Amino acid sequence: MMRSAVVIGSVAVVGLGGLIGLAGGCSDLSGFGGAVPPLATVRVEVTGDFASVRVPGPIQPALRVALVWGAQWLTEPLCILPPDDAGAAAVIAAGCRDAFGFVPDRVATNAPLAPDGSAQLSLLDLPAPDVMVGDVTARVAYASVVVYDDRDGDGTLTLGRPNRLRGREDDRPDDQATSTKDLVYAASFVSMTEPDTRLAFREGGFNTAAAFYPRSGCGDPLPSFSIVSAGGFSAQDALAAQLRGALPPEDPGACREVSTDVPVAVVFRAPAELHELACVERRTDSSIRYREPPADVPDLTNRTTGCAKVPDFGSGKGSGMIQLAISGRSDDSCAGLTHYVLRGCREDALCELPDWDITATPPSWWPCPVQAVQ
Amino acid sequence: MIDSGPPRSKDRNLPAARVPLAGRLAVVLACGVAFPQTSRADGDALLTDDTWRYRSAGDLAVDGGLVLGFPAALPTGLAKGIGAGVTTGQKLAWGARASWVTATESSLPWTVTHSDLRLRITGAVQKEAGRGTLGLRLGLGGTLVHESRVRNQGMRAGLSGTDLESSAFAMLPAADLDAVIALHVAGPWLLVTSGGPSVDVLDGKLHAGWNAQLGVAWQP
Repeated sequence: MMRSAVVIGSVAVVGLGGLIGLAGGCSDLSGFGGAVPPLATVRVEVTGDFASVRVPGPIQPALRVALVWGAQWLTEPLCILPPDDAGAAAVIAAGCRDAFGFVPDRVATNAPLAPDGSAQLSLLDLPAPDVMVGDVTARVAYASVVVYDDRDGDGTLTLGRPNRLRGREDDRPDDQATSTKDLVYAASFVSMTEPDTRLAFREGGFNTAAAFYPRSGCGDPLPSFSIVSAGGFSAQDALAAQLRGALPPEDPGACREVSTDVPVAVVFRAPAELHELACVERRTDSSIRYREPPADVPDLTNRTTGCAKVPDFGSGKGSGMIQLAISGRSDDSCAGLTHYVLRGCREDALCELPDWDITATPPSWWPCPVQAVQ
Repeated sequence: MIDSGPPRSKDRNLPAARVPLAGRLAVVLACGVAFPQTSRADGDALLTDDTWRYRSAGDLAVDGGLVLGFPAALPTGLAKGIGAGVTTGQKLAWGARASWVTATESSLPWTVTHSDLRLRITGAVQKEAGRGTLGLRLGLGGTLVHESRVRNQGMRAGLSGTDLESSAFAMLPAADLDAVIALHVAGPWLLVTSGGPSVDVLDGKLHAGWNAQLGVAWQP
């Protein structure tokens, strides 16, 4: 009797649930499907007269908006030190990018620009750790909103690389240049020397002493995603602050830290002012790759050349050693410099045990003195 | 100086404690063969001939154990949990079963945890074979699925509410077909294992899977 009661009771309880299942079959489950909510959404509003800045092309422009995370980049010494002469100044002007400009690292997301000038960028992933600067307790990433004409039609902003010349017996495949057809027409963050608006992603605390696109004097970016603005500083102020060991101050009145609900406003500009927004840098720590000049004259068509002393920052190690600096071609999409030295190593022109030394037998086309007059 | 190695047993001046192990074992074995005696512990042995004797008088069996299976509503994964059941009858038996299993799987945007409560009314045909029982069991009923979804990276991105996580319930019609093997171990206790295909109806479509259970049963 007792056993029957146990069985009947169990069957009754379990059976009730089972019968509900048989009769019901209702499901609100999503599993891995359904819409994926973005981690952040950036609304973009583009203003200005596109027709006045448009570069004629074979096809109708396909304007799109990209969110581009920035790289931590330091310019090479030749580009920021006072030039030795007019020739060096010319090659610096032709081959150096803005020392305070925004340097892209990678494109996070793209969206088409609507005819009314609006766009919505949805971020489905956080910035990767390699685009964030700081440690795990306080790190930040900055992104620029870039409006571009997708001339190669691949749906994303294609980033180019400077076109550098090869050295003697230099066959490294990673030195291949990448040209980009895409034309940048607007950007929210072009350079620290002009007003900017950027998307910030902050994780943990905020290091106010960090020199990663600094906004000294402004408030910290909000935790997680936020839109931050700064008024910019002059290059002279930045260099003076650097000599003092400080960060260049921003105008607090031009600072802003708001949520991503606030749209980012950008204005159309001439692509010639913004081409660096589509150029990545292979080396970001101001180091230079020196090359041994080839025996035969390289193709210098549409390139600017100049002779300059190898910077030794007053150490005297340079002893007046001269380098030949060569810019990229004038029609390249990205600016860059090639450095030839008659004696040196790949990473250091002033190395004590040089990988090559042809100071006694320079190539016939070598246009510079072997050594500067002391 | 040349090391002569360890002393050998034939050395006359060797101490007794340094007789090699093989020699000592030989002495013990020789004594065992020459002087056989009954151990004092034999009278109170823990294991006797009755130890593995089983009895199977009743129709009722209650079992429980660990369950593995395919999640009822996830496209991938391995669900793990516990289950129990009650059965009555001889060659034809009926009863009820319940099990609870859970599985957590991830895609790029989501981490999804499903907890399945499986409720079945069962009918079985079974046949005794030696100390064991072989059976085929059909279960019909429903699976109550609780889903918990978390947006990956959402907490770091500051998401909250339903953008960060959501949960849902669903009751799915389901059926299992299990092969059952029960082995009488001792007294009323059996070792039971079962397994076989299962199917449920998810969003109007059949969703196939499998189940397996390993446990013990009590049959008074």
